[in-house]
Amino acid sequence: MKKSAWAGKLYLILVLIFLYAPIFTLIVLSFNDSKSRSHWDGFTLDWYISLFSNEYIMNAFWNTILIALVSSIVATLVGTAASIGMYRMKLPMKRLMMGVTNIPMLNADIVTGISLMLLFIACRMTMGFASVLIAHITFNIPYVIISVLPRFASLDKSQFEAALDLGATPVVAFRKIVLPDLMPGIIAGFLMSFTMSLDDFIITHFTKGPGVDTLSTKIYAELKKGINPEIYALSTILFAFVLLMLFLINMKNSDRTSRRRGPKNWAFLRKATAGISIGLFLCLSLTSCASSYDYDDENTLFVYNWGEYLDPTIIEDFTEETGIEVIYDEYETNEVMYPKIISGAAQYDLVCPSDYMIEKMISEDLLLPLDKSKLPNLKNIDPAYLKMSESFDPGNKYSLPHTFGTVGILYNKSMVDPEDSFDTWSILWDEKYKDDILMQDSVRDAMMVALKLLGYSMNTTDPNELREAQQLLMKQKPLVQAYVVDQVRDKMIGNEAAIGVIYSGEAIYTQEENPDLEYVIPKEGTNFWLDSWVILKGTKHEENAHKFLNFLMEPEMGWRNFDYITYSTPNIGGRALIEEEEIRNSEIAFPHLEDYYGLETYSYMGDDYERQMNRLWREVKSF
Amino acid sequence: MAERLVELQNICKSFGNTQVLDDLNLYIRENEFLTLLGPSGCGKTTILRILGGFESPDSGHVMFHNKDITNLPPHSRELNTVFQKYALFPHMTIAENIAFGLKIKKKSESYIKDKISYALKLVNLDGFENRYPDSLSGGQQQRIAIARAIVNEPKMLLLDEPLGALDLKLRQDMQYELIRLKNELGITFLYVTHDQEEALTMSDTIVVMNQGYIQQIGTPKDIYDEPQNAFVADFIGDSNIIPGIMIHDKLVKILDANFDCVDTGFGENKPVDVVIRPEDVDLVEPEKGIITGTVTDVLFKGVHYEMCVMARDFEWIVQSTDSFPVDSKVGIWVDPFNIQIMHKPESEDEKAAVIDL
Repeated sequence: MKKSAWAGKLYLILVLIFLYAPIFTLIVLSFNDSKSRSHWDGFTLDWYISLFSNEYIMNAFWNTILIALVSSIVATLVGTAASIGMYRMKLPMKRLMMGVTNIPMLNADIVTGISLMLLFIACRMTMGFASVLIAHITFNIPYVIISVLPRFASLDKSQFEAALDLGATPVVAFRKIVLPDLMPGIIAGFLMSFTMSLDDFIITHFTKGPGVDTLSTKIYAELKKGINPEIYALSTILFAFVLLMLFLINMKNSDRTSRRRGPKNWAFLRKATAGISIGLFLCLSLTSCASSYDYDDENTLFVYNWGEYLDPTIIEDFTEETGIEVIYDEYETNEVMYPKIISGAAQYDLVCPSDYMIEKMISEDLLLPLDKSKLPNLKNIDPAYLKMSESFDPGNKYSLPHTFGTVGILYNKSMVDPEDSFDTWSILWDEKYKDDILMQDSVRDAMMVALKLLGYSMNTTDPNELREAQQLLMKQKPLVQAYVVDQVRDKMIGNEAAIGVIYSGEAIYTQEENPDLEYVIPKEGTNFWLDSWVILKGTKHEENAHKFLNFLMEPEMGWRNFDYITYSTPNIGGRALIEEEEIRNSEIAFPHLEDYYGLETYSYMGDDYERQMNRLWREVKSF
Repeated sequence: MAERLVELQNICKSFGNTQVLDDLNLYIRENEFLTLLGPSGCGKTTILRILGGFESPDSGHVMFHNKDITNLPPHSRELNTVFQKYALFPHMTIAENIAFGLKIKKKSESYIKDKISYALKLVNLDGFENRYPDSLSGGQQQRIAIARAIVNEPKMLLLDEPLGALDLKLRQDMQYELIRLKNELGITFLYVTHDQEEALTMSDTIVVMNQGYIQQIGTPKDIYDEPQNAFVADFIGDSNIIPGIMIHDKLVKILDANFDCVDTGFGENKPVDVVIRPEDVDLVEPEKGIITGTVTDVLFKGVHYEMCVMARDFEWIVQSTDSFPVDSKVGIWVDPFNIQIMHKPESEDEKAAVIDL
């Protein structure tokens, strides 16, 4: 007996650990005075402080609260009214309605999100604050109905009639008699939908438009540059908030078990109602400001860029100088950006895709040729990079380089044998570094490494060459510690691995954080990539877009942006302004292209090729 | 006679395809205790709800003090209802429940306070002000429901089977309580019940209803002693209802035997229904009876015995303080005064009413 009780407790503890260990880790890390995830450098509140001083995150925070509050209030009103209507329906109809309202709740978020997006597009509605709000109201209503409707079961209809009988008008009788009875359900529904709205990522992701971010979409966008401890702090706050909401919901639920409620409780409720109404008013007034982005406004510019790819103060300066308001939005990958553009879900003027994506967009006639007479600052751009761009944009007709870089090897001097040479991809196949190697978890980057080592083009379509490269990757697999993307940076800074494949822009940042790290471009050649600005064909702000591009090409802006994002700038004037000589002349940031062999940009190869590559990569991963 | 307070004129009401009331006419006098008595589904509650304003008639008029209130909403009517399930507001204290109507009428604090304590005294629930309804017994809740209604000083109180959920002893106590209340308040009570004993105990006037039709209106004594048809006779107390033929005035033939009676005016050789109350059947020695039978069953009921006697293929119910053993031969004799002659049902509806029993 005793033994089984002990086992039961152990089981419970294990389940609890299983459930809460991840969140606990996150909370602990949010107080860690180190960027590394592997060691504890003491307690700090710095991440919270920097979080609250981060204008973008705070903006997203207020957006989240605003959307959650407005959507849950509207959903509560609509849902309660719907419940009243459903209560009065005849049984078959009532059952049908209950089923119909339950389905969206069980529906996969991604389906709901995409359907809403398609509907908004079909209605020719521009994605923005309003579309997110409508989406949230939509998915919140069922939660209100499901918590309000059961309250009617315990509702005595004659109580309502008794109130009428005693002289109350139907409105008064509803407010004083029926509403208090429904109140626990209404409050539970409100809290539930508030929480749901707060939590939601997927639906928001599909229905949001330029310049609108909630915490969840913001956090996701931030992941692009690696997980920052600020995000731990933010997630901790979000978790604490949701916990509080759940606590409130449960408190209300336990209240339900006792029919008797003290008058004090109701005084609190009245206050809460008053508070909510004031909140609603504030929200509505705020909403009118928040949803004021109008694509038809001539004095605006809608920019869609990689996350953390432009110094925000540059945008501010641009607005100050020209009076053009920039609505700035971020994406995480080319593959996220492309469908948004092609579906017309969001209207943008300027986008900054990568080389192969630009090639694809040119082939699909999505881009507007640049008017070079409006871009006098083009003289500041190093012709070498314009020449590299010709591989995907012949004649430099459509694109203007924003940043560029290489893919290379990052190694930790304190962890490797100094006798070894690291300027070759073959070091990644060295048995000595088993479990100390980090590879990029991306099909083209991984295949590129193998193809280059074999001496082939990384854009090869020869099945034999591809098969050979795949075999090589399979051979390497036992040596690899992990296939990751952004974590290469963090793991290398934290001394968690000795060698990793990384983008040059990240390399400069890692060296600042950990001086033991060294970046080399392998002698077999590598991917040289460019992210370039293009103007979308449907733009209504062609003039503003050119002004913006010209502004970005000013030497000062080139320099400031390099300083901010540490990704190489093609701006010669900007490079000249860099104070630290070793960076200005850094081979990592500004390699002499002519000194390297086998630099190539990715080409757009079409869907069939992508499928084939993905199949090869899957075989490697599951091998 | 007191003035008419409420008059229902030509009321028709149906729910879906079911006609509940058909051209119903009824008036209630001031200060009268009137009971609507009938089995469930007879339309009595519908009448009460039409009076309360919770249902509106399909046609016809509701007059209150000679004013047409047919379309007046419930909250504007000068009457109050005591609901079957009490319908106390669970989230309010007893005092708040009682004060509900007064607060809506914007009465002063002190007036409300006086009224609450007066009403609680009246229903013998002093000191319950701060309790919540669910801490009270059924009988106490019932009294609070009454207190809540009467503080508004209605001209008329509508009571919808108010004692239905109480146990027998409590029900009897509450019957006296209601009579006392009515006398103290001096207002009109319209009482709806399916319990004939309640109706007989409390009412000034009983309206017996079935299938939406009024079967008989009268004092409890009238109704009991002289039921006008088989339905009333059967519904009010136990009865022996036997088909018979009125041979001529004051002589009726039942089960092939001639019984003297006191009724006249039924014509000659006309089929009738004959009602004889069980306590009016005298069991005598076989040779002294008008007919003879055999006792088949004896039950002791406290104040009397209830016996079944099989005589000429009819099972007579007999109540008597003396008992006869089972299987004994007895004679049946009835005082002419205790024989009640009724017309056979004429309309289809009346027939339906009888069959339905």
